[in-house]
Amino acid sequence: MSDLNEKEMRELLKRSVDPSEKPELERDLWPQMLQRIDRHPATPVAWFDWALAALLGAACLLFPGIIPALLYHF
Amino acid sequence: MNRHPYLRAYMAGIFVPTLVVLVGVAVFSIARYAYNFPAPIERVMIFPMAVVPNLWGLWNMLFLVSHSKTHLSIGWHGALLPLLLGPLGLLLMHALDFQIPQFLSILPVLGVVALAAYYLVWKYVVSFLNGVLGIA
Repeated sequence: MSDLNEKEMRELLKRSVDPSEKPELERDLWPQMLQRIDRHPATPVAWFDWALAALLGAACLLFPGIIPALLYHF
Repeated sequence: MNRHPYLRAYMAGIFVPTLVVLVGVAVFSIARYAYNFPAPIERVMIFPMAVVPNLWGLWNMLFLVSHSKTHLSIGWHGALLPLLLGPLGLLLMHALDFQIPQFLSILPVLGVVALAAYYLVWKYVVSFLNGVLGIA
């Protein structure tokens, strides 16, 4: 391909690829995300789920060998 | 807010294992390369890094599809996932000739612990994320 053709091709490509007019967001989306998180308060944990979590902790202490296997499956 | 609900479900699903894998890979890598832990962990790393997060995402999409028919709570739905992941993980370990020390002796405890852990994580964390993303 000659230099001239290459230049033409480059110009054609530049024209055909529409440059984005607004490369940056107009506003910060993080406060909106925080508001949405605040609208969904965490579910209160039932007593039997606390008991279950305590049993899980105890099992990990009694059988530390399950921790790498658990990490492998998480 | 109801646009792309399955994509939202997938994103909410992969959140937890993607965070856990950071910890897991860091712990495994330090053990392997800093303390010369004599196990070729890198052989099976693909499972927690790729298979598990994707299955979590797909499982949450399945919850979105099936919940109206099964009415199964999200906690129990999540607790069923280790029944799929466990055999898959074992199969991969076997195929790649990788052994976790004393694995068979801890298998019954691991099964119960995994079911309970998955139940709690799905009931509280994935459910919360589904709510934030507007799909629950």
